[in-house]
Parts: sequence; structure tokens; C-alpha cells
Amino acid sequence: MNPSLHFRPLRPAVAADGATTLDLLITVATPPLPAELMARPRPPLNLVLVIDRSGSMDGSKLSYARKAARFLAGELTARDRLAIVTFDDEVNVLVPSQAVRDPLTFISAINTIQAGGCTALFDGWLAGATQVAQQLDPTALNRVLLLSDGQANEGLTDAGAIAAKVEGLTQRGISTSAFGLGSGFDEDLMGAIAAAGDGTLAQIESPRQLADLYASELQGLTSTIGRKVSLGIRAKHGAELVDVLNDLPQNVAGNHQLPNLRHGQELNVGVRLQLPAWAANQEIASVRLAWDSPQQQSRQSLVEHLTLPVQPQAELEELQCDPVVAEQFALLQANRERRQAIEALDQGDLQGALFSIAAMDQRLADLPQSEAIQCERQLLAEKRELMQQDRNLSRKRLRREALRSSLNVWEADDDNQTNS
Amino acid sequence: MAKLPSSSASAHGADVVAYGLDQLLELAGERLGEEITPRTVRLYATEGLIDRPGKDGRRALYGQRHLLQLLLVRTLARRGLSLSAIAPLVAGDDEALQEQLSQLDDGLEASTPARESNDALDYLQSIQSSASEASPSLLPLLGAPLSSRSPSLRASRMAGRSNASSSRWHRFQLAPGVELHLSESASIPPTRARREAWLQRLIDRLREQLDHQD
Repeated sequence: MNPSLHFRPLRPAVAADGATTLDLLITVATPPLPAELMARPRPPLNLVLVIDRSGSMDGSKLSYARKAARFLAGELTARDRLAIVTFDDEVNVLVPSQAVRDPLTFISAINTIQAGGCTALFDGWLAGATQVAQQLDPTALNRVLLLSDGQANEGLTDAGAIAAKVEGLTQRGISTSAFGLGSGFDEDLMGAIAAAGDGTLAQIESPRQLADLYASELQGLTSTIGRKVSLGIRAKHGAELVDVLNDLPQNVAGNHQLPNLRHGQELNVGVRLQLPAWAANQEIASVRLAWDSPQQQSRQSLVEHLTLPVQPQAELEELQCDPVVAEQFALLQANRERRQAIEALDQGDLQGALFSIAAMDQRLADLPQSEAIQCERQLLAEKRELMQQDRNLSRKRLRREALRSSLNVWEADDDNQTNS
Repeated sequence: MAKLPSSSASAHGADVVAYGLDQLLELAGERLGEEITPRTVRLYATEGLIDRPGKDGRRALYGQRHLLQLLLVRTLARRGLSLSAIAPLVAGDDEALQEQLSQLDDGLEASTPARESNDALDYLQSIQSSASEASPSLLPLLGAPLSSRSPSLRASRMAGRSNASSSRWHRFQLAPGVELHLSESASIPPTRARREAWLQRLIDRLREQLDHQD
């Protein structure tokens, strides 16, 4: 039932007679959901759906949002709680948190949602979070689902300030997922909320995808085995951790924050360590994974120690690189470099953005063309084309893809994109 | 980035990264989410909670160990431990420090379920009241009467303003159900010492009022 930690170095040894730059893939793997558990009832859910009904959310978008909310209400049972909050320039608790005995109660309320004015996104989150907090159940999965298609333009609007508040709530047992809909939402803000909220980030271009998204969110919630997951990497004996390619947020103790762990999942973290000349059998680093489990009260943890064979430097260079590690590093690097393309776009430098995409693709082209690499190159080609037609949409997609290294990012099954 | 002179380097050898005081403060501040002042560091060094820094000429140099000690001292102090209680906890080797910090971090990450319920709600309520407290802010009003402020600032205060007879008043919510009304001709002393004295007078007045009611 517990996750496991695995180390996979790019080259299987370090130098005895000189410095080594060690690229290491740390994989956190979780077992698939055991059959006997599938039959058992899932933990109860304590959810609020916070829906943006600002002016831009009119017409078909709102009608799909209503439809998807009805679907969500229909999927929940009397053991679960649901509240529905809508916001424009004002916040309205449409249905206060209650057990889902009769989905019709929710559905008739949902049908009354009309498009309104501005986007008081933070106040909407706050009202929704309060609904969940009043019913907080430590044995349930407590989460705010925030759906928005607009820029926050009323109340607190600063992304950093909002994220800080969301993170405070995560620490107190309530997570937040952020779903951006259409072409008008603020992808930086939604990304920051999902990261601080220890939840899922989704960007959906069509409201048709909402029901699939909710289904996947429910599935994800019920297969969660670890929340508030942190990875502590301690380099030993003069070794130094010089880079974490995933750009994971760090907490007070310097541990790196990972997304929620779900059954049957693999998270890859790419790190670079700098080592002086190394003695045989000397430990290079210890890695400690810690998480909160829905079943246990105390925090769980697991420590693994890394040692590698030593060899003369000259022989080290002859060693084969592990192609799996090389591929994962290239993919993480490509996610990271999307940030540069975004920065270039923000400065109005389309050529610069196109150039960094081309540079990423060139590096991927030098690798064996596995399915994952081909997918990634296709994504890049798509961005290159899109950038010239719809800069806003390409920026949104670039942001989402950049965050795949550090967040649970939802991707629709039908658009040929792989989960990371 | 400079290297620590070998005499003061840690057990791992001479090749240890060193920070200037500014870098140390910045790194610690970022990780702790609070501002650390040079005075705090000097105090901790004098009290023996942080090892003496290395020297590069006249410049003090700090290493990873100093950073760990500083993080640990602040984290423990924030939990209410006295400095004398903290002292023995920061004397261990680097690994012991690191280990303690991770464990504290676990405590920080995992709150006990029994407390969570109240915590989350209390927290959200505190945000709600601080949000109304922070907006509008008193900050732009320091020093000069409100009436002499630029039209744009005055316009931005419109929301919290009411007309009472002939003079104009600004309203600020201090807590749910508690408001401060400031006349446009009132000015808040800009210098810290005078402002403190001004606040003290207000508190005294308020206390008198309450005592009268007993």
C-alpha cells in the first residue's frame, strides 16, 4: 500500500579521482489500487464547487458548467457532502454544505445560475472554503473545486497573496483544485492556486470537457494515498545538491513539495549533484519521502540511501548513459524551458519564444524517438504554430505544460497528450 | 560566492560554500517566510546559538551550518522555546541539525486531525477579518491631513467614506463590528516614535472609556 523510492543515475558510477556531476532520477512509485480495496467503499468526500458566473461566463459556457455540476451531484452519495458557491462581484452560497441525499436539490439550484458582473475570485474561494471548513472531517477528503473563466478583478487579485492564503488552508487540511475554462482565465493565477492548494490544475478550452474533468477529479480524490507530500534530499560528505529540474516549491526545512500521491502512479524527480573525488562505499545522499495518509493519523515517511560504485574518471566517461534517465531529464528540461518561452512572449518577443521552442525540439531530436519524445515534439510543433495565430492560447498551454513537472495537471484523454 | 577559509570550514572539508551576511539573511528569510535582521543574527552569535562566522578580511562569512542553525533557532523560537532551551539543540553536527529541522517540518506539515477542524475555520475567519481590515489601508494617510492628499487617493478612498454634517470622514474597519472614523483634517504622525505615542494616547483614551463602564 505504501509508496516506494527508487534511484536511477544517468551513469552507474562516480569518479574516485576527480569531481563528478551526477544526474540522478528519483522515482516515487505507488502500487496500483488493490482489488480488495476497489470493492470497499471509498473515503467520503467533503467538497465545494465554486463557480465563476461573471459576465464572460454566459451562454453555452454556463450551460455546460451547470450540466457538469449536475453530473458531479449525481456521482456523489449520501456519505459525501457538497456545497455550491457562485461568485461574480458578489458571492452567493447557492447550496450550503450538505449530504448528497437527493441530487435533485442541487440540480434545481444549479439550474438557477445566471451570468453576472465582475470576478471576485478570492472572495468566492473564501466562501467556498468556509463551507468545507465548517464540515471538516479528517477522515474525508476535503477539497475546494474552483472553476473560473476570468481574471480576478474584484477584491484580492494578487496571485502571490491569493496563493499564500490558499497554502495556509492546505496546511489545515483542506486542499484546492483550480480549473481554468476558455481563453480568458489567468493561467499564472490558476497554476499558483493549484500548487499552493495541493490540488489539480486543469485548463479546459471547451466546457464540454467539464464532466470528464469532474469524473477524473473524483477518481483522483478517491485514489489518493498521500497528501502534503515532501521530498527531503540530503547530500552527504561534501556532495552538493545543485539542481532539482522539476522546480518544486520548497518548504521551511528545505524539503521539496510533491503533488498528491495516487494509486498506480510514478512521479519522476530529476536532480543534479556535484561530488568531489569519491571514496568507495561512501554514502552520497539520503532521500526522505514524507506524506499524510488518509488512513493514518501520524505522518508517514520513508528514507532511502544512495551509494554508487567508484571508478577512475577516464573509465567513467566510457560508460553508457541510461536511456530512460536521459529521456526523463530531457522531458523535465523541456518543461522548464517553456518558462523561457513564456517570458519571451511576455516581453513581446515572438522570435525569441519561437527560438527557444526550436532549441528544445533540437535537443529532443537528438534522442531515440520513443513514444514520449515524439509526443513531446508534437506538443512543441503545435505551440510553434499556435504562437503565430493565438499567442494567448499558446501561452496558456505552455504554462500548463511547464507545470507538469511539479503538479497534478489534468489532461483530456482525447487530445493525444500523455500524463506526466 | 566566496569560499570559507579552511580553518572554519565544517568537517566535510574546505570546499564549502560561504555566504555574506546579506545572503544568509535573504536565504533564511525566504525559507522562513519572515524577515531576519542582522541584529538577530548577531544576538544569536553572541548567545552561542550560531557558530562564530568565518572571516575574509573584515567581512564575516557564513556557511550551510550557520544557515541550518539560524533556521532551527527561528523555527524553535517561533514555537515558544526560550533561547536557553534552544541552545543545546543547535550544538549537534550538521546531520543532526538537518534531521531536527525535517522533524519539525513534519510537525508543521501534519497538523493533528483533532485540531484541524477549528484551525481551518479560525484561519478562514482571520483572513476574512484581515481582508476587511487591510482595505482600505491607513498607510497612505501618514503625515498629512487627508484633505491635502491628491485627488486620486481621495477618490480611491471613496468607498469607505461618508459625509457627516459639514466635515468629511473616512471609515476603516479594524475588526468585525469595530470601525475607526478619521476626519479629513486629522493627520497621523509619520515618524515612528511620535506615531507610537499617538497610538498610546488613543489606547489610553479607549481604556478610560471601558473602565468607566465597569
